[in-house]
Amino acid sequence: MYMIRPGLSIALFLALRGVRKHAFSSFLAIFTIAMAAGLFLSTWKINDETRRAFNHSSSGFDAVLGARGSKLQIILNSLFHVEASPGNLPWEQYEIIKKTKGVKEAYPIAVGDNYLGYRLVGTEPDLLLKHEWKPGHHYKTEAGGRIFTPLAKEAVVGSFVARKIGLQVGDQFHPYHGLNFKEENKHRDIYVVVGILEATGTPADRVIWVPIKGIQFMDGHDQSMSHSLSAVLLSLKGAAGFSLDMKYNKQGNVATMAWPVASTLSSFFDKFSWFQKVLELVAGMIAIVGSLIIVLTLRSSMNERKREFAILRCLGASRQIVSSVMVLQSLILACCGAFSGFLFQYIIHFLASYIIRENTGVLMHDFSIDIMGAYVFGTVLLIGLAGGVLPARQVYKAELSENLKQTT
Amino acid sequence: MLQITNLKKGFQLRGEIILPVVGIDEFVLEKSKMVAIHGASGSGKTTFLNLIAGLLLPDEGELHLDGIALHELSESKRDYLRAASIGYIFQSFHLLQSCSALENLLIAMSFGGQVNQAKAKEMLDRVGLKDRMSHKPGDMSVGQQQRVALARALINQPSLLLADEPTGNLDAQNTENSLALIKELCASSGASMIIVSHDPNVIHAFDNQFDWGDLNQVTETGSCI
Repeated sequence: MYMIRPGLSIALFLALRGVRKHAFSSFLAIFTIAMAAGLFLSTWKINDETRRAFNHSSSGFDAVLGARGSKLQIILNSLFHVEASPGNLPWEQYEIIKKTKGVKEAYPIAVGDNYLGYRLVGTEPDLLLKHEWKPGHHYKTEAGGRIFTPLAKEAVVGSFVARKIGLQVGDQFHPYHGLNFKEENKHRDIYVVVGILEATGTPADRVIWVPIKGIQFMDGHDQSMSHSLSAVLLSLKGAAGFSLDMKYNKQGNVATMAWPVASTLSSFFDKFSWFQKVLELVAGMIAIVGSLIIVLTLRSSMNERKREFAILRCLGASRQIVSSVMVLQSLILACCGAFSGFLFQYIIHFLASYIIRENTGVLMHDFSIDIMGAYVFGTVLLIGLAGGVLPARQVYKAELSENLKQTT
Repeated sequence: MLQITNLKKGFQLRGEIILPVVGIDEFVLEKSKMVAIHGASGSGKTTFLNLIAGLLLPDEGELHLDGIALHELSESKRDYLRAASIGYIFQSFHLLQSCSALENLLIAMSFGGQVNQAKAKEMLDRVGLKDRMSHKPGDMSVGQQQRVALARALINQPSLLLADEPTGNLDAQNTENSLALIKELCASSGASMIIVSHDPNVIHAFDNQFDWGDLNQVTETGSCI
């Protein structure tokens, strides 16, 4: 009541009354627009954020040397600890690449065992001691822990795994053969947990780190395993990537150099771009439905409101004021829809972040509204404006004497 | 003061056929005077009031209110003049159903350019609705609704009040009370008033009376005398 003031505020007051009076259809319009805005923003944002998060989760490595096969498979297996390894490399390949000019760091890894479904990754202690997983950041163990020694049956557990299965320093466990947990595949070896890694928000949190010799000489493994490894993680200097790419991928046929990591991952995400387009199309169609619901809401109340508008005109309201009631009512619905859309996006983002983190260990950034959010907000307002213009035009052109006849 | 000269208004029926409805040679209403116009339903009285209110434009003639040539004003200026200088009461009251009694008054004030809540409450108090300010029309009796309509018509202190069958929906007792209230409020605010009705009891309550048939030069067949 206190917002009744001369000018546009009276139109706003009447528009809000209109929204309240037609609460159900208003809710329906807001919900539909929120769905459209939320779906579109979520699709775009999650895709963008996932690409960014994966590109920043390569744990500080520039390339991976793996068995002859798919670059993407090598990267997913070695850096993200998902998918199976395309095969093994002879140990000599590690010795060669380590000494190659332009290679700053080289760490061998061996995979093939798990504990309760979480991968054991065999490597050198230096990876956890010296390597910077992010510039200026080394892996650290939580208080009371340490990194394993090269020849002992010791394990350092990623923070996510420790939290999920409750492993603590001093606990012992039997590894299981294979990447998937099967009770009958239990190894006889017993490992002791000597450290829990502090959380990094990278896939390193989702694995159990053990000495590479432990994997190579695990009870029950083929003897050939003792001289092979799954991949070599590499940090490069200068333009070494180009020469290594030439040497291994174009001229050689012994191993595959998965480089550069970012563009290889990008090709992976591009495979799902059709899905994003489908979702965007669906969001666009929902937006059209939302706009139609706004028009229908306004039009269905039109006959009833003709009386109200005629009375307002008799009281001295101009055509502009009464027609702006329609536009404002439409804009209110669109605004509420856009804001609810952001809320909807927040919920989807939260769920998607949780699922991605649970499955890959990759940490997505917190929810934020960026320039795309502003574009979507503007578009939704335009939809609202478009939805309100036709009914407003009808109100503007209505002859007062005609509407007065209907009121008596 | 309201001065009307050679006023004509007709409505297009089908194609080129125009039905004349109002034809008045001259009509003058002095400041603070109240006149009652008696005539049969459907004879053009409401059209006459709508022309004075600026809701319709005349086909011919001149209307001057307080020296302002109404017939020459643009629509937006007529809107503002209606809000600020003319009060209008209808037979069916035409209250905004989704708004309370107080809001009905405040909305009318907003078009006049100034909203004063204390003044609106005082007006509702004067018409005996102190305890009904936040009630919506649907929760009020017909008599109470009529008083809200009267309060709304006078809230901007208009110089002219137009009343179109204002007691048409009231019983005899309420009609008497309502007319007394209208006369009292008009007299105290100094507003002129034109009341039209087909009810002789309403007409006889006023000293200045006109017969619509004498005033309007249009016959029932639709041709000017």
